[in-house]
Amino acid sequence: MADTPTPLEVRNIKKRFGDTEVLKGLSLQAQKGDVITLIGASGSGKSTFLRCMNLLEQPDDGELFVHGERIAFKYTKHGREPQDWKQVVRMRAKLSMVFQSFNLWAHMTLLENIIEAPVHVLGKSKREATEHAMSLLERVGLTHRAKAYPAQMSGGQQQRGAIARALAMDPEVMLFDEPTSALDPELVGDVLKVMRDLANEGRTMIVVTHEMSFARDVSSKVVYLHQGLVEEAGTPEEVLGNPQSPRLKQFLAPKY
Amino acid sequence: MLDLQGYGPRLIEGAGVTVQLAVLSLLLAVFLGLLTAIAKMSRHWFLHRIATLYTTVIRGVPDLVLMLLLFYGGQIGVNAISDMLYDHFDIDIYFSFDAFAAGVLTIGFIFGAYMGETFRGAFMAVDNGQIEAGKAYGMSSVLVFRRIRFPQMMRHALPGLSNNWMVLLKTTALVSVIGLTDMVRVAAEASRATHEPFVFLVPVAVAYLLIASVTEWIFAWLQKRYNVGYGE
Repeated sequence: MADTPTPLEVRNIKKRFGDTEVLKGLSLQAQKGDVITLIGASGSGKSTFLRCMNLLEQPDDGELFVHGERIAFKYTKHGREPQDWKQVVRMRAKLSMVFQSFNLWAHMTLLENIIEAPVHVLGKSKREATEHAMSLLERVGLTHRAKAYPAQMSGGQQQRGAIARALAMDPEVMLFDEPTSALDPELVGDVLKVMRDLANEGRTMIVVTHEMSFARDVSSKVVYLHQGLVEEAGTPEEVLGNPQSPRLKQFLAPKY
Repeated sequence: MLDLQGYGPRLIEGAGVTVQLAVLSLLLAVFLGLLTAIAKMSRHWFLHRIATLYTTVIRGVPDLVLMLLLFYGGQIGVNAISDMLYDHFDIDIYFSFDAFAAGVLTIGFIFGAYMGETFRGAFMAVDNGQIEAGKAYGMSSVLVFRRIRFPQMMRHALPGLSNNWMVLLKTTALVSVIGLTDMVRVAAEASRATHEPFVFLVPVAVAYLLIASVTEWIFAWLQKRYNVGYGE
């Protein structure tokens, strides 16, 4: 697989909000089929890091490669910005994101949500996109909710719908931003199950999560962030099974 | 039976002028309002400054004064243009600044400022996560606007929009000062001639009410349409 370009690579990402330096130089490489989980206490910068990967946040420094293509930046009076927004739009279409608060478009039915970007961004025909969407809905167990609006669905259904929306883009890499944090405990399992299936079929995924069992069982790599820096990284066995730093030990210790 | 003493057809014609004036002004106001809201949300300080100037000046000066200013100012403006064309290009055309156009422009211009604030508030009410989802799926900002921000914004804008419309409709009564014959002017003339103001003014009031109710119904329908997906 040496000649397939790396789906996503970021180097030395830095980001500050006002006086606070949130990311202090983070790098990460996702090879095809990798499932990378980002863990850390709140405020460690893991969500911001993920949002820098599809440029929902603009990093102040660092480099970004999607499918081997380097994203170009320029400096303006508003700070560092992508040189060519068309390039950004193109690269975002290859990375789909699943949000903590689902963010399904409220004025569209679930089916409309799923075909929206394939039709308007990828230029697929409505028929083709609908067929694909229906098969994805079957996968996540929501065929019967195709005509429902997000407000009529439970959180777990919305999140599984959002995963179907992400899959419809046929993404190189899927970014998950705390996908189960806004769910009632009894609904978490269904969402995690869908994510496990995706990992098993070889999807490249980067997951910010607090679900340690998911990180342990599914990921190929675990990255522990602390105050904007990588404190420990490695296989789940190394990082979760045999933590080195006292902070990670404390983070992993049972809370009760 | 109500005896309109022969003024009936002219009153109906006047009502037609009122409706046309109001609808065209509304379209212009919505267009200007959207532009203003977008300019105010823009990070280019120049656009922001212009839009702020526009809403401040327009909302701070009485409608009647603005209407006269624009009407006479507009006539001076088109005269200057035709003079310029004649002097420099030897083209001899005379434009007259039509009172109807002046009315539409003035009212549209005034209400564009109010609409601008209505739309701005409505745009700000759209949940940022909805916009981010659009961006994250590779939508350009134009596409995000067309498919997500605009339809979601309309839901928040419609109550204010319909309120502005009602005020706009009644503001059209001012156009008689620039010589337009709307239904109020016909009624005023008829009242003076016949010394029976109520015979003419009451039907005019009822006509306004009628237009208002019909359009309120249209707005209710639109509100229902844009509320789809939000429960109830």
